[in-house]
Amino acid sequence: MNGAIHGARRLRAASAGNGVLGVLIVLLIGLTLGMGQLEPLFRALFPDLGNPLYARDSFLNLMLAHIGLVLMSSLISVTIGVAAGLFVTRPVGREFEPMVSSLAAIGQTFPPAAVLAIAVPLAGFGFAPTIIALSLYGLLPVIQNTIAGLGTVPRTTLEAARGNGMNRWQILRRVELPLAMPVIIAGIRISVIVNIGTATIGSTVGAKSLGTPLIAGLVGNNLAYVIQGALLVGLLAIVTDLLFERLERRYSFGG
Amino acid sequence: MIELQGLTKTYAGTNVVDDVSLTLETGEFGVLIGPSGCGKSTTLKMINRLVPLSGGRIILNGDDVTDLPAEQLRRRIGYAIQSTGLFPHWSVAQNIATVPQLLKWPKSRIDDRVDELMAMFHLDPAEFRHKYPHQLSGGQAQRVGVARALAADPEVLLMDEPFGAVDPLTREVLQAELKRVHQQTGKTIVFVTHDMDEALQLATRIALLNGGRLVQYDRPIEMMVKPADDFVREFIGQADLGLKLLSRRWVHQYQRPPSLEHHATLPGLDHCWQLDDAGRPVALEGARLDDDHGVTPVKPEWTATPEMSLKEALSRMVWYRVMVLPVIDDAGKLIGEIGMQGIMGIQAEAGSEVS
Repeated sequence: MNGAIHGARRLRAASAGNGVLGVLIVLLIGLTLGMGQLEPLFRALFPDLGNPLYARDSFLNLMLAHIGLVLMSSLISVTIGVAAGLFVTRPVGREFEPMVSSLAAIGQTFPPAAVLAIAVPLAGFGFAPTIIALSLYGLLPVIQNTIAGLGTVPRTTLEAARGNGMNRWQILRRVELPLAMPVIIAGIRISVIVNIGTATIGSTVGAKSLGTPLIAGLVGNNLAYVIQGALLVGLLAIVTDLLFERLERRYSFGG
Repeated sequence: MIELQGLTKTYAGTNVVDDVSLTLETGEFGVLIGPSGCGKSTTLKMINRLVPLSGGRIILNGDDVTDLPAEQLRRRIGYAIQSTGLFPHWSVAQNIATVPQLLKWPKSRIDDRVDELMAMFHLDPAEFRHKYPHQLSGGQAQRVGVARALAADPEVLLMDEPFGAVDPLTREVLQAELKRVHQQTGKTIVFVTHDMDEALQLATRIALLNGGRLVQYDRPIEMMVKPADDFVREFIGQADLGLKLLSRRWVHQYQRPPSLEHHATLPGLDHCWQLDDAGRPVALEGARLDDDHGVTPVKPEWTATPEMSLKEALSRMVWYRVMVLPVIDDAGKLIGEIGMQGIMGIQAEAGSEVS
């Protein structure tokens, strides 16, 4: 009975969430395509500015470039992070666990701006150093949550899996990964959300992103540009977060 | 048939299992018992090689278990554990189908087998097939655990304190079910427990271990009446030995034909049963502790079945204050009776076994 009430509450929360998500997605797409329509509004808000609407590039191009940066770096973080997390939780890699964990922690404590500064001489300006910085920065939550998620699988469940004749690969694929999935997805979620925000600094080294109007606004003392960039980055982060929440829920069972 | 030959397990220089040798014939219900740390669980887990052997050999139906790939071996051996170890993200049906799926049975055969096992454990497939482990009671989850262990019709069933975490009432029900399933399937079972009553209730052979060594390996009755040493005697417990013996005797061994008319002159037969047209007992005349001539309506609570233990029969007599119970068959027909004489007869017999 408790479960039924709980379930009903969750269902209601989910349908309310659907509405919010829908509105936010419409807003995100609308602003990306139609920021120009708001020119009168920005002109009214910032009468002192000669040029209150960022026009050196379309917001659609900036949005796509931004998403591209985040997708690419997250793909690298997730691939390396999950692989490292799996490796250090297997018998062969167990002794590397402290090392991998501290390496990932170092990656996280290094400010991305500092990584950019180091990466530029090595990889040049633009896309590549930004990807390096973002990938390193997003690694820690993925590794940590992969290790933690695999650690939540009960010992008795693993013993039952072995006792019923599953080999290591079957145990990993059929038991460990599905049970660890909600926690791993939560780690990916943190990594992606952080990178959506952090990707803006890529513009300081010439990578096109939603940070471009932001930086331009900061440099040129144009608050309207800053607002336009920040608004889209913020919306993108919130929409992505809500989508991840949905994904997490799909992979969790019971409870 | 399982043979353990000089089985030894060494952890950090100590033998936690020390030179254990025993043979369990096909179809027997063997119980490994002993105090905590006696090596009973370790011994069990060496049979399906969850724990590697340090020394000795295990022969399963002629095959040395170390000659087989571990996964293949384990698919031939059912395995049920205390906290069920059910896969929380799989439904009841998927859990039961674990080993058949690993063995790549066709889907229709798996479905039939799952239904068959659920019926065997009184789990309605329509209700339980799609439930998840967290939606089950402790007893239901444990049934699913045992059903999963039996799914691929294994040669041997290993059970590591499977009923250790359920409440006493449920445990009794599960024990009775396991006993029935054992009789139905004729499976060879190796069962670990630290509860002597459970061992006496279920086992056809008991292996008592202490400090990694096998102290005594015997049939339950022999263990009670001929304990190998003081440790065995103490472990079995002397206080209610009489009741323990009764728990190993069955009504069908001691029942007699029902008394259908009064025999005032014959001791213990000064009572008679009233039957209905279908031959079911409706009332008992006489044989009450408080009233020798009263008529007592028969209630299902104080009837006996041939498979019931004498301990339970005695308990019912005491509780309902009657000197004799009707023994009924599945249809409820009166087929015999069991009285105090039947129950006392055992103690005389056990006494003669001792001498």
